[in-house]
Amino acid sequence: MSDEAIRIGVFICHCGTNIGGVLDIPELTEYTKTLPNVVYSAANLYTCSEVGLSEIRENIKEHNLNRVIVASCSPRTHEPLFRSTCQEAGLNPYLFEMVNIRDQDSWVHMKEPEKGTEKAKDLIRMGVYKAALLESLEKMQVSVIPSAIVIGGGIAGMNAALNLANQNFKVSLIEKDSELGGLLRYLNKVYPTNEDASNLLETRNLVENHKKIDVYKSAVIEKIEGYVGNFKVIILQNKKIIEIEAGAIIVATGAKALSPEGYYNYNGKNIISQLELEGLLKENSINTNNITMIQCVGCRNEERKYCSNICCMTALKNAILLKEQNPDANVTIIFRDLQTQGVAYEEYYRRAREMGILFINYLPEKPPIIKKDHIEVYNEFMNQGIGVPYDLLVLSMPLIANEDSEQLAKMLKVPLEENNFFLEAHVKLRPVDFATDGIFVCGSAHWPADISESISQSNAAASRASTIISKEMLEVEGSTAEINTDLCVGCEACIKICPYSAISRDEETDTVVVNKVVCKGCGVCGASCPQNAITIHHFTSDQITAEIVTYGGG
Amino acid sequence: MSKNLKRVMVIGGGIAGIQASLDLAERGIKVELIEKNACIGGRMAQLDKTFPTNDCSICILAPKLAECSRHPNITLHTLSEVKNLSGQPRNFNVKIFKKARYVKEDECINCGLCIEKCPMRVDDEFDMKLRKRRAIYIDYVQGVPSIMRIDRKNCLLFTKDACRICEKVCEREAIDFDQKDEELELNVGSIIVATGYDIFDPKTLGSLGYGRYPNVVTALEFERLICASGPLDGHLKRPSDKNDPKKLAFINCVGSRDIKNNPYCSSCCCMYTTKEAMIAYEHDNEIDTSIFYIDLRAAGKGFREYIQRGCDDYAIKYIKGKVAKILEDDQKNPLIVYEDITTSQVKQLKFDLVILATSMIPKKDAGNLAKILGIKINDFNFFKANSYQPQISSKEGIFLCGACREPMDIPSSVVDASGAAAKAAEIVMRG
Amino acid sequence: MVFEPKILGFLCNWCSYAGADLAGVSRIQYPTNVRVIRVMCSGRVDPVFIAEAFMNGIDGVLVLGCHLGDCHYISGNYEAELKMKMLSKTLSMISFSDRVRLDWVSAAEGNRFAQIVRDFTEHIRKLGPSPVKNKKIKKEIIDNLNAVKFALCDTRLRALVARQRELTTEGNVYGEIIPTEEFEEILDNAIENEIIRHKIIEKIKKEGKSVPDIAKEIEVEPHKVLHHIVTLRARGLVDVDQINEEIPTFKSIKEV
Ligand SMILES: Cc1cc2nc3c(=O)[nH]c(=O)nc-3n(C[C@H](O)[C@H](O)[C@H](O)COP(=O)(O)OP(=O)(O)OC[C@H]3O[C@@H](n4cnc5c(N)ncnc54)[C@H](O)[C@@H]3O)c2cc1C
Ligand code: SF4
Ligand code: SF4
Ligand code: SF4
Ligand code: SF4
Ligand code: FES
Repeated sequence: MSDEAIRIGVFICHCGTNIGGVLDIPELTEYTKTLPNVVYSAANLYTCSEVGLSEIRENIKEHNLNRVIVASCSPRTHEPLFRSTCQEAGLNPYLFEMVNIRDQDSWVHMKEPEKGTEKAKDLIRMGVYKAALLESLEKMQVSVIPSAIVIGGGIAGMNAALNLANQNFKVSLIEKDSELGGLLRYLNKVYPTNEDASNLLETRNLVENHKKIDVYKSAVIEKIEGYVGNFKVIILQNKKIIEIEAGAIIVATGAKALSPEGYYNYNGKNIISQLELEGLLKENSINTNNITMIQCVGCRNEERKYCSNICCMTALKNAILLKEQNPDANVTIIFRDLQTQGVAYEEYYRRAREMGILFINYLPEKPPIIKKDHIEVYNEFMNQGIGVPYDLLVLSMPLIANEDSEQLAKMLKVPLEENNFFLEAHVKLRPVDFATDGIFVCGSAHWPADISESISQSNAAASRASTIISKEMLEVEGSTAEINTDLCVGCEACIKICPYSAISRDEETDTVVVNKVVCKGCGVCGASCPQNAITIHHFTSDQITAEIVTYGGG
Repeated sequence: MSKNLKRVMVIGGGIAGIQASLDLAERGIKVELIEKNACIGGRMAQLDKTFPTNDCSICILAPKLAECSRHPNITLHTLSEVKNLSGQPRNFNVKIFKKARYVKEDECINCGLCIEKCPMRVDDEFDMKLRKRRAIYIDYVQGVPSIMRIDRKNCLLFTKDACRICEKVCEREAIDFDQKDEELELNVGSIIVATGYDIFDPKTLGSLGYGRYPNVVTALEFERLICASGPLDGHLKRPSDKNDPKKLAFINCVGSRDIKNNPYCSSCCCMYTTKEAMIAYEHDNEIDTSIFYIDLRAAGKGFREYIQRGCDDYAIKYIKGKVAKILEDDQKNPLIVYEDITTSQVKQLKFDLVILATSMIPKKDAGNLAKILGIKINDFNFFKANSYQPQISSKEGIFLCGACREPMDIPSSVVDASGAAAKAAEIVMRG
Repeated sequence: MVFEPKILGFLCNWCSYAGADLAGVSRIQYPTNVRVIRVMCSGRVDPVFIAEAFMNGIDGVLVLGCHLGDCHYISGNYEAELKMKMLSKTLSMISFSDRVRLDWVSAAEGNRFAQIVRDFTEHIRKLGPSPVKNKKIKKEIIDNLNAVKFALCDTRLRALVARQRELTTEGNVYGEIIPTEEFEEILDNAIENEIIRHKIIEKIKKEGKSVPDIAKEIEVEPHKVLHHIVTLRARGLVDVDQINEEIPTFKSIKEV
């Protein structure tokens, strides 16, 4: 291509009167002919109509055009269309350039047609100078391993594995414990239907017996390599090293309850944690009359600012169970705000109130005080403490991140948020994705989640993973970054700056390289490299500079 | 006809429907996306910014809209509704009713010439009737597909047999008054329902004065009032006198957690009133906001911290109080009468503008759609979901996501949507 | 004739360019002075582009991105902000910093985009034409801009800026976090030094000069000049030319 003479064709759109009614299109067409490398320039009534598109195709052939410019509306809406038109005529789509003379010219300068036309001339000239430097780029294809790895065998991980396996993908489920089930194993009943936790645990059998799922229990992750479509996870199981390959990874490592040790005179006997209460309820071994629960123990404070999402409902659930067992029992919940959003949960709260469970609000400035046989809770209305007797005091502890999440995050090269839960790519629109392609998160590893939320998220993570592993090949955009190894001094500044971890040091060649499959072409690394060693294809420094110079000098 | 159709129908093109469609399409499954309105985008397109990151709603939505309309695996059916369903999972037969657009989809280039000339002025539903639109229009400027439609209820040709001005000015000859409503039949293996929600009408709560007092508005109206591309170009004014409001009050749980109306919690209002207060403050640092609440529900990731920021950085006052009624003084300032929950005293406060966080309620036609599809609804008219696999409806092969099954925010809707896509894929891809 | 400022705008594809399109769709009218170069992210804008723009006679440059926190590429606009800060420090040494503006425009803010263009055009109109266009002082101004470009291309300075977020939040290899103020000070010094060094090189391009002579010409204290000469020698840009009566003269040895 490089030796071939540059032959630019420029198509200027009237867009009916949208552009033509303001800008002087004949003048623009004539002007364009005077620009370097332009061998063809013509106006169309509507370039994007079938007539206009076939004119592009025909003139590419007739005039041997090797660069095409359309001056019309916005590339944000029309570039894909014109690019594919070029491609149909055998021209590499990256040799197309678009100039916006409608949305950013004729429409916004309707009363200044001459000045608008001058602006359009500059814009077209800038486009012509950039076009001369455009390079044809190939969309690379990389193969994808059609299977997934799920890390963590709690309810979220098991469900994600099951969904993918039911879609006919092979799944490897890695669990560090000696059995599957996670936190669910310690629960008695689950809200909002108060079903036995053991019913939900049956998922274990489905998972272990599924022919598409390999379960690795008591397995420790040693190393994670690779990138989207081609990951390799090395695990240690029974002193054996096992290598597992997959196209996508789902993180479902859950969370754990904060230890109650040191809070409100915890003693493990008549002052216990909510999780311990679950155990006692399972054994059916509670026969006290005054049961009081305190919410938000160890969270929503300076050290742990967050609300752990699940504790209000858990307390309500156990309060209701206790009350059902023994309607005469006094059950009291001392709380800050009751988090029972939604339809079913609010309903549950109402039921609890109707059953006679007592709710007492406390302020963080005046926490309850534990006395020998009663608790003192400050009441603002009466401006004094009121006494609540108890035989059993239950502390609602928040879920906190696992200790090893930091280590796992490092291996996966994904970030954690300040409480050490995994940080998603975008809170709203990519809630189960990581910025790093091909890795997903669900359940309490992401944020304290209850069973239904965990399952919901695990389905979501499975769906996101399936969008990758269902493809035989991943197609990679051509406009990515590339490092010129001759100029690069290996300072690694770019490695840190890339928001997608697309850049790394290749251990074999000991050079810093961009993984095109991961790169999104934002160009931030290019603007940052101290050595100017990075080319941002399709937005190269030379191309941009050419536009600047011709605008300035023109 | 093959037994197992690798094709899924998604009903509703809000953020949930869009996300479900994109996931399936990327997964290699064909999608028929059915949208009642002329453009996809749903409620999210109406929002100014969105919690908890306060990023601009349309900025993050627009790329998804474009992707949806461009994706080779997605067929978009706008102005369409489901009329009938037969068959069984893996082989459903669906009848679709498609209203005439009276504008040729392939010809219209969204130039807007017709809008300029159309003589009709009609309340703009997208802008919560705070602005007028014409009888030929696009739901909202960034709407997708970006083409016009004619609203036959208001177009003079249909009402008075006169006009045809748009036809004359359209240089593309895109207007086609001869278009007819159509019926299509589609075959799909599975169905995802994502029809979203409506807003509770606070007029029925006479005590709050909505509809009588100009300076009492709903939260969704407020979203449009502060949006840079809304009817006021983002310069918040109070409706009665166009002055800059300085004292705002938000009332949470309007119609929600209320046995007489909607006993459930709408789950987003605590967060979005905080958001709206923050945005108002960013527009004008002199704005002083109070939020009246019963419980502050902020259990999502980073939500508690968000509320904290509202207190610390935006000077929002959270008042734990039950609002009894709203009165109005002679300057048209709303006066809120409320019971302070912590002290049980009745108090009164004056504001410039009051915003009601009205409940999210099921779509009016949810019951009807449920009947057509043969799925159950719950006590509140939301589609009934399985308690532990919340995307599963009462009927095999039909899945639910987003606010049509329970009020939920955008992050949850997106999770739900991907989840529903996975469940639908499970049905159509099962080996 | 009224002065019509020549303004260049860098707009990121996802928000600010969309905002500019929205101004169009809404037919919001604004001055015709800006020509836009679309980049994928504001973080793509290399400060060198802006120096280049000024050298080519452009009167003002706008860089617009998504609002902080909204960047389509997560953190690109934070990087843009750091780069523009550095650029503005550099340009302020030659009184050019008034001619660049970094701002944020969302895809819903057609009006805001138009307003920014109006304000900035007016602002540049008030400042008057770029001094580059003034024949009398053109050479000096271009020299200054060359010094700026030299600084912006300097690998140490670029490395410093590229690492800024890392150094001020995660810490250096020893895990020491550098407070932002301290970092700014380091950066200020580095910029000033680079500009002086470039001025030195300019003065000794054609003939060798002694430290006191250079010091006089560029109005910098001799001991500082000596310090810079030592640095430039170490970088292989300057060497001893002659030694007259025990006073060495220095000359630049490489085209930069
Ligand atoms: C004032 C207010 C502020 C909010 N702010 C935030 C916020 O800041 N952050 C946040 O996360 N959430 C916020 N929310 C919540 C947010 O709006 C919802 O979470 C989200 O829009 C739900 O998306 P959806 O797709 O489920 O529903 P919708 O957006 O309602 O979409 C449903 C779509 O389906 C179509 N449809 C309906 N019925 C049919 C049918 N029968 N056939 C075909 N198509 C049909 C509709 O036309 C629509 O396009 C706010 C809500 C309100 C009221
Ligand atoms: S920043 Fe530039 S020089 Fe440094 S490692 Fe990256 S490419 Fe190489
Ligand atoms: S262009 Fe952006 S995504 Fe690609 S390597 Fe550079 S910084 Fe990373
Ligand atoms: S219908 Fe015609 S006039 Fe109206 S926007 Fe479409 S092309 Fe333009
Ligand atoms: S989210 Fe808050 S305001 Fe909305 S209904 Fe629930 S408790 Fe009330
Ligand atoms: S994409 Fe707009 S600033 Fe990065």
